[in-house]
Amino acid sequence: MTEVSIERLTKVFGSSRAVDGISLRIADGEFISLLGPSGCGKTTTLKMIAGFEPVSDGAIRFDGSDVVNVPAEKRDIGMVFQNYALFPHMTVAQNLAFGLEMRKVAKPEMEERIARVLDMVQLGGYAERYPNQLSGGQQQRVALARALVIEPRILLLDEPLANLDAKLREEMRVFIRDLQRRVGITTVYVTHDQAEAMTMSDRVVVMFGGRIAQMGAPADIYEKPETLEVAEFVGQVNLIKGRVTSVDAGEAQISTVFGTVAVPDRGIARPNMTATLALRPEALDLAAAGEPGAAGRITARYYSGSLVDFRVALSSGEELHVQTFPNARYSEGDDVTVRAPLDAFWLIGAAQ
Amino acid sequence: MKRPVLTIYCLLVYAFLLAPILVVVGASFNAGNFLTFPPQGLSLRWYVTFFNNEVFMRAIRTSLWLAAVSTVISTIIGTMAAIYYVQHAGKRKELIRIAMLSPLLLPEVLTAISLLFFVYTIGIGTRTIIGLVVGHVLITLPFVFINVSASLESFDSSWDMAARSLGAGRWTRFRRIMLPLIKPGVIGGALFAFIISFDVFTISFMLKGIGMSTLPIQLFDYLRTNFTPEAAAVSTLSIVLTLGVVIVSEKVLGLRIHRF
Ligand SMILES: Nc1ncnc2c1ncn2[C@@H]1O[C@H](COP(=O)(O)OP(=O)(O)OP(=O)(O)O)[C@@H](O)[C@H]1O
Ligand SMILES: [Mg+2]
Repeated sequence: MTEVSIERLTKVFGSSRAVDGISLRIADGEFISLLGPSGCGKTTTLKMIAGFEPVSDGAIRFDGSDVVNVPAEKRDIGMVFQNYALFPHMTVAQNLAFGLEMRKVAKPEMEERIARVLDMVQLGGYAERYPNQLSGGQQQRVALARALVIEPRILLLDEPLANLDAKLREEMRVFIRDLQRRVGITTVYVTHDQAEAMTMSDRVVVMFGGRIAQMGAPADIYEKPETLEVAEFVGQVNLIKGRVTSVDAGEAQISTVFGTVAVPDRGIARPNMTATLALRPEALDLAAAGEPGAAGRITARYYSGSLVDFRVALSSGEELHVQTFPNARYSEGDDVTVRAPLDAFWLIGAAQ
Repeated sequence: MKRPVLTIYCLLVYAFLLAPILVVVGASFNAGNFLTFPPQGLSLRWYVTFFNNEVFMRAIRTSLWLAAVSTVISTIIGTMAAIYYVQHAGKRKELIRIAMLSPLLLPEVLTAISLLFFVYTIGIGTRTIIGLVVGHVLITLPFVFINVSASLESFDSSWDMAARSLGAGRWTRFRRIMLPLIKPGVIGGALFAFIISFDVFTISFMLKGIGMSTLPIQLFDYLRTNFTPEAAAVSTLSIVLTLGVVIVSEKVLGLRIHRF
């Protein structure tokens, strides 16, 4: 299997830097997601790894050997496209056979491998169908099978679920993740859907404007965002201000509308600084007015089945977004208290 | 009939377009000695005369040969040009399109005279058939180009990337992925080229060598001195031949294709 290492990888189109010096090491068998808004350079990065896009600067190594000058057809990569890119004039079996023919695999072995992979993606009976005779989800799985049957060194996927409906998308997330675990192949997955990146990846790489803003385990990215951009991109977030009263040993005491809270500090807090703190809506809870916490009034309530979203105007003027289970029986206009557990606060930086 | 006026209008247009053809076909079965309509009695005698007419036979062989050769050449050149135009031309796209379509935009007689001038300037004149073939390729090229570029516009570049990632080199990708997927355009273009070449008059007239003749030229020549139903028989046969090419290609080569 294969370890990928990317160093100061850069892609310049005319005067704009689509990818701006990113460095990244992907361990053998690891599942990495490139997550970021439209135009941040995810696809360009993936295409450079695949060899479809010439590199402007930097290095890409597979198991230590530089592949920058190796053409795409020699890189031994499995690629899955957003529109599947199945060959419409070939049956499922012929689509899968194509890569094996290029590798001059003998006929009996070829048939055996195709059958095995089709089984793996649960499309055993579909070998003789043409792509236009399959549903979107089935086409997606054929595309995955076609990429995997050649047993490539690396699997690359560019928004493979973007064309599926919400329910199928959730099923496929788990499906792809499980399959990747079983096969144990090094995988780079491009998406702008944060939930997708979170569920599937070992590590998430958040990109903005061609640069890596933060990378780490999904929980770290979500719970410990290093910048406001990352915090806002990976989920909904409330921002509140607070005054730093003291700092010591990686912990800052900050006085907020919720009282004084102790927040982990990564060297950015200074005494007397006005800081911005992040609070995830689902970490918050409502209680009756008068309880300890931040007092406020509900301005809106949105019911969405498994959760209820509240907008709460605090008496201090800030507006909070609170997400709770539907058993909370509060409605618009009620006076309430917003409660936050002590570990819900995360220091983003100095307030603007 | 939901729209009677439109329906009648369409029928009239078709009648206007098809009536002359029907008249010619009808007149070809004439038993009399002159090209008249309605025919005076039914007979195949003018077809027999035609098939026994060595001059016409030679002309039709020349026309078929010329159409076949120029179709092959312009299909290859036109397809390559279309691939460059759609996939690689970049900023030069508009320029290339105009250049490729110019034989259609210029009057045929102008192209013919320029070519005639050209072949004499470079010294080959009309002693060889080269000038004639070049003329036919030139006039048929735009039809291949238009058809192939139209089908290339719907060729998804991710098919090519997918094939590349699976390990296919340039030639394999062309042969196994692109060509089958643009086949309808290529065949359609080749058909057009064949029919146009079979039909071309002015270019052939200017560039043919002495003593050589294509079917349209021979027909024209014949009609200047004769006015028998044999001319109608020749015309009917060209119509049948043209239709035959279209139908056979569709059946044999298969324009059907699987798409999603
Ligand atoms: N061939 C190209 N020529 C010029 N600019 C390009 C080209 N391809 C991409 N870009 C630019 O590079 C930047 C990054 O593009 P890229 O396709 O990598 O974005 P992305 O993160 O995949 O976005 P999306 O989520 O919309 O797919 C964009 O600003 C885009 O306009
Ligand atoms: Mg993209």
